[in-house]
Amino acid sequence: MTQSTSVVVGKVWEIPPGERKIVVPFRGRAGIGVFNVGGSFYAVRNICPHKHGPLCTGELSGRVDTDAPPSSQGAFISLEGLGEIVRCPWHQWPFEIATGRCLVAPEVRVATYPVKIRGDDVVVEYEE
Amino acid sequence: MSQIGATPITAPGWTADPKDGLAIVDCDVHHNFRHPEQLLPYLSTFYQEHFLDQGLHLGRFPNIPIRTNRVDLKGRQKKTDSQANKDDGGDPRDFNFSLDFLQEEHLDRWNVDIALLTGPPPFYGYSGLPDPDWAAALCRAFNDWTIEHWLDKDQRVVNAILISPSDPAQAVAEINRLADRKDTAAVMVPMGTQMPFGNRFYHPIWQACEQHGLPVVSHVGGGDGATRNVPTPVGYPTYYIESRMSRPYAASAHATSLICEGVFEKFPNLKFALIEAQQLWAVSVMWHLDTDWKALRDQTPWLKRLPSEYFRDHIRIGSQPMHEPEKPEQIHQMLDMLHAEETLIYCSDFPHFDWNDPVTVLPKLSADFHHRIFAGNALDMLRL
Repeated sequence: MTQSTSVVVGKVWEIPPGERKIVVPFRGRAGIGVFNVGGSFYAVRNICPHKHGPLCTGELSGRVDTDAPPSSQGAFISLEGLGEIVRCPWHQWPFEIATGRCLVAPEVRVATYPVKIRGDDVVVEYEE
Repeated sequence: MSQIGATPITAPGWTADPKDGLAIVDCDVHHNFRHPEQLLPYLSTFYQEHFLDQGLHLGRFPNIPIRTNRVDLKGRQKKTDSQANKDDGGDPRDFNFSLDFLQEEHLDRWNVDIALLTGPPPFYGYSGLPDPDWAAALCRAFNDWTIEHWLDKDQRVVNAILISPSDPAQAVAEINRLADRKDTAAVMVPMGTQMPFGNRFYHPIWQACEQHGLPVVSHVGGGDGATRNVPTPVGYPTYYIESRMSRPYAASAHATSLICEGVFEKFPNLKFALIEAQQLWAVSVMWHLDTDWKALRDQTPWLKRLPSEYFRDHIRIGSQPMHEPEKPEQIHQMLDMLHAEETLIYCSDFPHFDWNDPVTVLPKLSADFHHRIFAGNALDMLRL
């Protein structure tokens, strides 16, 4: 039988938009990163599925995309969602903070946990 | 012997447990100056003026993304570097500016027993400098700066002295100048050249190396995206990732040239490592050379054995960047084809983005096999 556990990881003002807090330990020694992306909070496991690097300590970036090579007429290279992607500091693999999805390897995901705001508290939940 | 993986992660906690009894010799550890002006005291007055007037002359292939380094180390340098100050403008790509930083972030963290210093990225390009005297002066200055700031302080740290192969006479003089130092463990040359390394032009350098028992370590650069040489055999690519894929061409050409020109017949105790150029190319070179040599031997009759035998006896392959194949078992197949227990030497490439830590770089191996790759082959090669 699964049981939901809530952990208060901090106060909302500790993590303004664009910032994060590394919380250790959290279901293991590596902990989680709790991110504020434009006012929405997300929690991501702090172990990169690639080589176990400290994923949540990496730089934030966005999604770069285009429909065709730049030699094609009218091709436009877009950069969207700046701040919604975290790149592992070890080898630069990019992950979507909201979903844990790896942008360069669709079958690879990092665990994420629901985050709720209760009053001033940032609360991370997990099932066990 | 030491543990590996004791505290390998820069964030708190990790999942890998330490392992006992495994030695690690890391044959590619990049050290760097914070500012090139730090080399000024080690240059003659003439070359100080040369530097102040013209700069290093070390151009870079301009399309290398800025994130070519361990960004997790970026903020940590200042904490541990006693020379750091708040407004420094050091190269944001490279953070290994001091011995104490290297100790804390790499040697202690991963329990590295021996680290071979291989210098900063700009110096990969000095074979492409148009002025061979400036190239030689820069090498001397960098070697002297390394001696003063990195050596004699930690027995784990040994040096691959920099020489410019574009003037063999000056290269030999520099080898002779530093060969008596006990921390001189190898001689470093860039892989990008005007001629492949088997050419007789270079033989005086290899002769000096053999006389002093020093192996040659050739690192990519100077021809694959670092400076003036054409980065691929078919011209200039558009993107950095393309020039990275051309590295095996350079390594293959050098290995083939060294074997076919009879360098290892002339210098039977010479060891020659080719690092940061991947690994699979070496399988192809050994196989294809043997096949062709059976038909074409009359052109190189001084070769008394199969080319692959010279390869396995004399040429060493850096383990970084290690392939990450589709199926995990393919790594074991590649190690078998490479004769990795003879040819492969562990290289971390610390602190660059494509580095390989010593714990996750390869799957679990037998203790003997692990020892050959992570220590034994390098201990046999380096002058320690």
